[in-house]
Amino acid sequence: MADTETHIRQKRSSQILVWFLIAVAMLWTLVPLAWMLAGSFKSSADVTASDPKFFFDPTMDNYRNLFSGPNDLTPYLWHSLVASTAAAVLSLVLGTLAGYGLSKSTMRRKNDLSFWVISTRMAPIAAVIVPLFLMFRVAGLIDTLPGLVLAYMTFNLPFAIWLMTAFFDDVPPSIEESALVAGCTRWQAFWYVVLPLTKAGLVTTGVLCLVFAWNDYAFATVFAGPSSQTLPIAASQLVTQTGIDWGQLTAIGTIVVLPMVFAGLAVRKWLVTGLTLGAVTGE
Amino acid sequence: MSTALRADPTEPQTKQGPEPAQRRFRLTFPATLMAPGVSLLALLSIIPFITLIVMSFSRVRLLGGLQLDWVGLDNWTRVLQDVDMWVSWWRTAVYLVGTLGLEMVLGVGIALLLHRVVRGRGLMLSLVLLPMFVAPVIVGLLGRYLTDSTFGLYSWALAKLGYEGDILGGSTSAMTAVILMDVWEWTPLIAMITLAGLSGVNPSVLEAASLDGAGYWSTLRHVVFPSITGILLVAFLIRAMDAVRYYDIITVTTNGGPADATKTVPIRLFETAFRFFDFGYAAAIGLMMLVVTIFISKGFVAVLQRKG
Repeated sequence: MADTETHIRQKRSSQILVWFLIAVAMLWTLVPLAWMLAGSFKSSADVTASDPKFFFDPTMDNYRNLFSGPNDLTPYLWHSLVASTAAAVLSLVLGTLAGYGLSKSTMRRKNDLSFWVISTRMAPIAAVIVPLFLMFRVAGLIDTLPGLVLAYMTFNLPFAIWLMTAFFDDVPPSIEESALVAGCTRWQAFWYVVLPLTKAGLVTTGVLCLVFAWNDYAFATVFAGPSSQTLPIAASQLVTQTGIDWGQLTAIGTIVVLPMVFAGLAVRKWLVTGLTLGAVTGE
Repeated sequence: MSTALRADPTEPQTKQGPEPAQRRFRLTFPATLMAPGVSLLALLSIIPFITLIVMSFSRVRLLGGLQLDWVGLDNWTRVLQDVDMWVSWWRTAVYLVGTLGLEMVLGVGIALLLHRVVRGRGLMLSLVLLPMFVAPVIVGLLGRYLTDSTFGLYSWALAKLGYEGDILGGSTSAMTAVILMDVWEWTPLIAMITLAGLSGVNPSVLEAASLDGAGYWSTLRHVVFPSITGILLVAFLIRAMDAVRYYDIITVTTNGGPADATKTVPIRLFETAFRFFDFGYAAAIGLMMLVVTIFISKGFVAVLQRKG
């Protein structure tokens, strides 16, 4: 009897410890985000108060100021939307075709081709930017949206190819074979039979490509100019010698982060597969 | 005739041509699908790669038209003899060990905690994952806001605990801060991957272990960890590649300072190219970085092939 009692007590105390540690992890994770959200609704006096203001009169001034006055955020938002959507869609289309080809290919150097694709995705951004800067200068692509889209495709295209290959590898070959036996052409078997089975893969790949491009800062600092600047650049430009308008900065931060949080959580079920590039599946 | 090698367009095309003729004139079906994507990738990857190699043997001049002058091994001997450069590699190593070590330990810890939660695990995981979707540049700027010495929330809290001082102003504290910002953003990734691995552990094995009277820690050590080492390795390698890739957080927080304390290799590369316009030297640094990531991706592919 006494034995089970201590056992139960031990179990309960370990349960309390688990919840305590989870609470700590949640605080560490969520406080910065909550503080950013709160800051975006604070007046300029409150946002930099030396004693942090946990209670304050919310104001929409920061958001209002972002979209009016000389530093209107609208063009930045537009550039971000166009460049990241175009890079995601193009990468998804080309990556899906190439991924299917790579998955079905029986060529001899297939492993070398895959390795080239993955090492392109993983190449350090700083090492990619330097030669690309020279090429873009010669080609006149600096400060253009097509240039930015191409720059984003240096990482999104290999990502899409690799990930879609992994998703196509999971489709049992017998399904496609029976479609071919039933008289489909290879294209029809791909388009009408295999592709619908990889819908989750398509959505996941597209969303992740969008997130990577939307969140980019390094490429945009070099390749974007006045007519192609994106939201992350707008955020960093608020950091000036004379001081930082933290109210506006937290507001831009919120605008950059919110859509990606929704997009990311929408594909949460397949995030593990997507972010491990197909190496780990399922939850 | 000059058109001898091409199929005559006037010739009536049979829909299913004879096999040998198809093979001579057309790519296989998989190759046709691959062609557009792979060609564009070649344009965006092989040409820059060759450019990078050529640049590393040249002095690059931008003013008055692009011009590359051959300088032989100059950039390479410089990059190998540059003491500052080796210090940067050392700092990169410290940064990698710090971020990857903390992310692995905390990520596995959080996964183990969440794995014990039955109700509401999905919601909690979603909350834990949020930092992953934040643009690194925003993570950096937010980090600056939180650690500002006059109004930062975290500086204020640390001051209450007895730590005074400008966090991003001191060399050790600045390095710690940029490491912790990366840890904040990417620990969720490790937690998510590990949790996927934990959910895959056969419950009957766990039950058998508990019937044998094995405690929590010994089950963890002898049953759980051995079965998820592969997944942990994948998580580690993915993070390692990205940790070498990104430098946004450091750029917008300390930009290498104070007194070069956070000047990792990518930061130095960027400044060599776009502040001192020494593109040849930057190219040599870039190629050295590339070698590091190629080694890590080799490891990643090796793990995958062993698994598959």
